Amino acid sequence: MYVVRILRNLTRRRFRTALTVVGITIGIWVLVVMSSMANRISFIVDGGSTYYQDKIIVSDATNPAFGLGSTPMPLSVADQIANVPGVAVVVPEVQLLLDSNEAGGGGFGLPDFIVGGVADADQGREALQVRAAQGRLMTPDDEGAMVVVLGADLARKFGKRAGDSMELRQVEFEVIGVLEPTLTGPDTFAFVPLQAAQALLAADAPILATAGLGADQLISQATVYPEAGVDTEDLADAIEASVAQVGTLTGTDFDREITSATEIFNAIVVGIGLISLVVGGLSVINTMAMSVAERTREIGIKRAIGATRGRIMREIVIEAASIGLLGGLLGLGLGAVVVTVANELGRDSGNILFQLTAPTAVVALVFATVLGAVAGLLPAWNAARLDPVQALRYE
Amino acid sequence: MAFLEARHLHKTYRLGRQNLVHALRGADIAIEAGEMVGIMGPSGCGKSTLMHILGLLHAPDDTDPPASLVIGGTDVADLSDRERTKMRAERMGFVFQAFNLVPTLTAIENVALPAEYAGRRRSDAMKAAAESLDWVGLADRADHRPTELSGGQQQRVAVARALVTQPDLMLADEPTGNLDSESTNEVLDLLRRFNTERQQTILMVTHDPRVGEACGRIVEMLDGRITNGQAG
Repeated sequence: MYVVRILRNLTRRRFRTALTVVGITIGIWVLVVMSSMANRISFIVDGGSTYYQDKIIVSDATNPAFGLGSTPMPLSVADQIANVPGVAVVVPEVQLLLDSNEAGGGGFGLPDFIVGGVADADQGREALQVRAAQGRLMTPDDEGAMVVVLGADLARKFGKRAGDSMELRQVEFEVIGVLEPTLTGPDTFAFVPLQAAQALLAADAPILATAGLGADQLISQATVYPEAGVDTEDLADAIEASVAQVGTLTGTDFDREITSATEIFNAIVVGIGLISLVVGGLSVINTMAMSVAERTREIGIKRAIGATRGRIMREIVIEAASIGLLGGLLGLGLGAVVVTVANELGRDSGNILFQLTAPTAVVALVFATVLGAVAGLLPAWNAARLDPVQALRYE
Repeated sequence: MAFLEARHLHKTYRLGRQNLVHALRGADIAIEAGEMVGIMGPSGCGKSTLMHILGLLHAPDDTDPPASLVIGGTDVADLSDRERTKMRAERMGFVFQAFNLVPTLTAIENVALPAEYAGRRRSDAMKAAAESLDWVGLADRADHRPTELSGGQQQRVAVARALVTQPDLMLADEPTGNLDSESTNEVLDLLRRFNTERQQTILMVTHDPRVGEACGRIVEMLDGRITNGQAG
């Protein structure tokens, strides 16, 4: 076959071909791993973005980071919010870092959280629905009990199953269920009844912050679901205006703050991959230029006996493209291995860093092949321009 | 009109900034179909240059009066590179001193190349190549690489390659220059046989008087001109 005959040329200088392929392999490998990391980040961010749509998270105005509200505020705030026109449902919640020593997001991705709330208080308005992989979900009747439903990653991290017992901040809980993976927030959450979470919050909070309120009067945030047709941004502004000392987070805020940050990060990550590929591309140019120089006579013969310039170019470009494709396949394979192994190693600690998607794999292969072909263009053009008579004299 | 007629062929090469070489200074030549013509002369007399122009590898210089080159009734003096390439593939066969087979291809694949360049389907080209190899007595070496063949065998493969498209004109540049006397005889016998049995028109450049003897006619060159009379 035509292409097979061209590919025989790759075996003429096996060592040199291998080195060039390795150059591309490393480039594609870096690109695949980096892109997979970027994919993962985008995925988490998209999950968050979806989660924060059509709702408003209200927390204490002094809270350092939105959505991670763990500064106590009085439960009465929830009632004040409920009175703001346009508010359909207010769900008082407690959100705490699982590890009180963790400075917030100590690891990659989402930190582990204890989330307390009365089950079904959202009255069916929450879009992100979870399912139990083991045991059962929380019910309103669990209020007062020391029970916990674990997110998929948390259950794996601590090796817990439904029926086990588990300490959350030195307090004993019974695991009544484990959730199916959602690949976003709930995977690292430990859901407990509101009263249990309030107790943990009170134990953790400085005396001053509680303002003398009992544990059952403390929450850390409230999730507000607007009435149908009410603009969330307008409603958020109305809540901030009418309720003292609260801050709000909406989907728009989330997108603005997080998305631009992750876009910059993704650009850096992909940029690093591209730089390594430029190096690989240069080595293909070098290899093909040397090949053309070595085959000057042969190109002269082919031209003499009737090969057109286009045909000579095509042969060189196909050869260069196949070096690229070969490197791409190896780089993709190597990248897939690294991503899989790293994810398996990180799974127990809840650090899933990478997500290798089909589009990433296809783009990597196409990119490697096109890179090879483009790198082959200049040597191919030089080959095609050779004067057959001079090329035949070439020693 | 002869099968090949060339008039006023000039060719100047620039070797350095001030160094012009007048390889051809107004060569005229005519060759009849079915002739086997040897071009002889000392080194530097322009015989290879003449061959390159007749083989459409180079174009003659623009001169006054203008060069004319007609092969098989086609005026080929002013063809573009693309048209000359097409004509080389379809109507010319080349044999070189250094065999010049493509090392990564088998004997039969080498032979098939010109037919593929001429636009034939690969299966047709391979079929023609098998026949052509059979003509030169190397059917049993079809799948050998050039490095697995002796010099004489390689040159016979090159002859098969030159003949695979059944060209109007076969050009051979010192075809026996790299061969021992036994292989020289084999290759010369082949060329003569194609000339007599198939009326293959052959134009051959050579130093070797014994090779010259195999030709029906000798054209002698000196200083870029043809020095003996034109045969019809």
